[in-house]
Amino acid sequence: MTTLWDTTGTEVVKALGEARRTAGAMVSGLALTLVVVADEKKVAEAEVAAVRAASAHPCRVLIVVRRQIDSEQPRLDAEISVGGRLGPGEAVVMRMYGRLALHAESVVLPLLAPDVPVLTWWHGDAPKKIAHDPLGVFADRRVTDAAQAPDPIAALRIRATDFAPGDTDLAWTRTTPWRSVLAGAYDNIAVRTVAARIGAEAGNPSAWLIAGWLKGRLGVEAELVTTSGPGITEVYLRLEDDSELSINRPDGHSAVLHRTGVQDRRLPLHRRDIGDQLAEELRRLDPDQPYARALSAATGITELENRPAGRQHEWMEPALANGAS
Amino acid sequence: MTHNPLRDPVDRRLPRIPEPCALVIFGGTGDLARKKLIPAVYDLAARGLLPPGFVVLGFARRDWGDSDFEQVAREAAMSHARTPWQEDVWQRLAGNMKFVGGSFDDDTAFDTLAGTLDELRDSHAIPGNAAFYLSTPPAQFPMVLRQLERTKMCDNATAGGWRRVVVEKPFGHDLPSSRELNALVDQVFTPEDVFRIDHYLGKETVQNLLALRFANTLFEPVWNSHFVDSIQITMAEDGGIGTRAAFYDATGAARDVLQNHLLQLLALTAMEEPVSFSADAIRTEKLKMLTSISLPGDKEHYAVRGQYEQGWLAGQRVPGYVQENGVPPDSTTETYVAVRLGVQTRRWAGVPFYVRTGKRLPRRVTEIGVIFKKPPYLPFAQTDTEALGNNQLVVRVQPDEGVTLKFGSKVPGSAMEVRDVAMDFLYGEAFTESSPEAYERLVLDVLLGDSTLFPHAEEVEASWKVIDPLEEYWAGRKPHMYRAGEWGPKAAEEMLERDGRHWRRP
Repeated sequence: MTTLWDTTGTEVVKALGEARRTAGAMVSGLALTLVVVADEKKVAEAEVAAVRAASAHPCRVLIVVRRQIDSEQPRLDAEISVGGRLGPGEAVVMRMYGRLALHAESVVLPLLAPDVPVLTWWHGDAPKKIAHDPLGVFADRRVTDAAQAPDPIAALRIRATDFAPGDTDLAWTRTTPWRSVLAGAYDNIAVRTVAARIGAEAGNPSAWLIAGWLKGRLGVEAELVTTSGPGITEVYLRLEDDSELSINRPDGHSAVLHRTGVQDRRLPLHRRDIGDQLAEELRRLDPDQPYARALSAATGITELENRPAGRQHEWMEPALANGAS
Repeated sequence: MTHNPLRDPVDRRLPRIPEPCALVIFGGTGDLARKKLIPAVYDLAARGLLPPGFVVLGFARRDWGDSDFEQVAREAAMSHARTPWQEDVWQRLAGNMKFVGGSFDDDTAFDTLAGTLDELRDSHAIPGNAAFYLSTPPAQFPMVLRQLERTKMCDNATAGGWRRVVVEKPFGHDLPSSRELNALVDQVFTPEDVFRIDHYLGKETVQNLLALRFANTLFEPVWNSHFVDSIQITMAEDGGIGTRAAFYDATGAARDVLQNHLLQLLALTAMEEPVSFSADAIRTEKLKMLTSISLPGDKEHYAVRGQYEQGWLAGQRVPGYVQENGVPPDSTTETYVAVRLGVQTRRWAGVPFYVRTGKRLPRRVTEIGVIFKKPPYLPFAQTDTEALGNNQLVVRVQPDEGVTLKFGSKVPGSAMEVRDVAMDFLYGEAFTESSPEAYERLVLDVLLGDSTLFPHAEEVEASWKVIDPLEEYWAGRKPHMYRAGEWGPKAAEEMLERDGRHWRRP
C-alpha cells in the first residue's frame, strides 16, 4: 500500500502503475471502474461495500472524498492499494481539499481503467442534478441512494426529474428480493389483482418503488401504510376471486408467505448489506427499463425511458449545489 | 401456465425461479445426496432461487420419519454447502422435507410415495410438478422406473404437472446396454423429461467456452485446421479410486471419464456455431461432432492405456492400483487413457485431438488446450526464436477457472530475442466469490426444465460408439504401467513424440 500526501494526479497514476507491477495484478481481468463518492464520515462504510462488490466483479475502485471546499489551498492526498487493505483488486482512495474538490475529474479521468465501463456511486446524498457532478457525467452507469437523502420520497422525485437511462437507485435494488418472491407467488395466479397494500417505515423509498412497479405491472394502486419497520414489513394483495396473498416480514430477516387455501410458508428475506446491493448493480451495465417504469409510476413523471442517455456537465457554484459537500 | 404479469423479460434482476415443485431423491441417504444434492438445494434456497412451494422428498430403505430425514439433511447441508450457514435459510426448507421408507421392490412404499406427492397439491400448492432424482446404483434404475410407471407417477397427464427424471452416469457400460437403458427411461418418461447429469457441463468455464467462441470475433476465424495444429484435452486427478474399487475395476478410465466428460468437452470445443442458444440447437451441433469422431488406425500406438503402480504423490507414498482394497491383483483395468482422435469435418480434418485422463497424476486439473500452428515464415534469425513455441489458447476448466493465452514476446533488452509468455484471465475462484457449484446449476435447470446442459440419449449412444471399438481392442491386453505421481506412462509421451509434438504440462 502506498500513501501520498499533498500530491498530484500524475503522481497517483504513477503510484498505481507501480503498485500493479509489484503486485502482479496484470494477470486478472478488469471488467469495469467503480467510482465512489463519499463523505469523510461514510468513507469506511463505502470502502467495505466497494470491496465486497469488487470481490464479485473484478474492477478498479476509485473512492473520492471531497473535503473543506472552502479551504484556501487545494490539496490532494491519496492512498493506493493493490491486493491489500482494500480487497484483492486495485483501489485508490483520494481526499480532495479546496477548489480541487470541484474538479475531481481532473484526477479521476486518467485513473479510469482503459476502455471499460465506469459506474459512479454516490454513497450519501446525491447531487440534485447529476450533470452538476463531473464524476457522474462521464459514467456509463450512475447509482444513487434515495434512502440516504434527508427526505427520501422527495429524493425519488428529484431522481425522476433528473433521470437519464443508465441511472439506478439502491432503493430499487433493495426491492429485488421482494419482487422476486412476489413474482414467484404469481406464477400460480391466473386472476386479476384488485387491491394492494404495502406496509413500511415512514419515508421508505423502496416501498414507493414497489408500489410503482405493482401499478405498472398489475394496474393496481397500492395503499402505503406506515409501520414501525424495519424497512418494508408487508405486501398484501387481494385478488378478483376474493382470495388473498400476503408476505409479512416483521423482523427484517425472514418472511411468511400467506395465500388463501394454502398453508403458510416461511421464506428467508434478508435485508442485504450495502455491498451486496452494490454487487447487484455492478452485474448489469445497460439501462434498467423496469426501474424507469417503476420510478415513473411512483412519481407520476412520465416518459423516463425515452429520454436521451448521456449528460453534459453543467457548472454549479458549490454554494448553490445540493449534496456536493 | 398463464402469463405472469410480474415477470417482464427485460427485468433481468428477477432470477429464473422454477414453478412450485417437489424434488424426490431415490437413495436420499446416500453419498451423492448428502454431499452434493442436499447442499445444492440449500445453496439454491440461500440465493432465493427456489419457488415458494418446494418440497424435498427422500426415499430410501430406512425406517425413518420426516424429522429423521430432516436432521440428516440439515447436517449434510451444514457440512457441505457452499454458502455460509444461516439458520433461517434452513427454516425455509425445514418442514418441507418428507421421507418415505421402503425398498425399490416394495409396492406399498411406492403407493405411499404417490399418495404423498398428491397431498402436496393441497398442502403446499404444488400442482403435480415433481423431479425424480435417481441417486442409486445403476442396477436399480430399471426397478425404480418400473415402479414409477406402475404407480403412474411418471405420467405428466395423470399428475397434472410436469414429471421429470434425473439420471447420473454411468449411462450403461457399452452401446447395447446404454440403448437398453435409454429405451427404458424414454419409454417410462417422455424423452424431453429425461435429464442426464454430466456435472462437467454445469461448470462456469465450460459454459464460458461457448461465450468465448461465439460472442467474440477474435477466436472463431482461427478455430479450424488452417490455424490449429492440434487440440489437447486433459482431465487429471491426483486421487486414487477411493472406495469405488468394485465399480471402478469393472469400468476403467475410458468408460468412467472419456466416454462422458472428455467427449462432451471435445464436442463443445469442436462444434459449429449453433443457430441459437437453445437446448435443441446446441444438441444438434454437439451430436454432429460426436458422430464425426474417428478412431486411430494404429491403436497400439495411439490408444494407450495405463495403470498406476505404487509411488510418491504430494509428499506421500501411495499404493499401486492392484494393491488398492478390493482390486484383484491381476487386474488389467486402466486408470489412465490417452487417445488420438480425429474429427471428420471440413473444419477439423487433419487436426489431431489428443485426449487423456488418469488417476494418481501429479495434480488435479482439467483443461482444453488449443495449440496453434507455427508461423509459416519467421523473419528473425533462427537463434532469436529458439524459445518460441506454438501459440496456445488454454481453457482452464478446474481449478483456477479461466483462460490462458500463450504467445511470443520480445525479451526486453538490446538483442532481438523472442520467447513464450502466458497471459492469464481469471474470473473464477481466486478473484471473485466462489461460483455456483455445478450441481447447484444443474438441479436448478432440471426444475426449470432447461435441458441445454444435459447430454441427450443420442449423444450418449454416439459416445459409446467411440468407446466400444477401443474397449474391444484393449480386451485381453495389458495396460502400460506408470508410477503414481507421474504424468502417465511412457507410451503416452511417445505417442505425441512420434507426431513431433509433446503434451502440455497443465
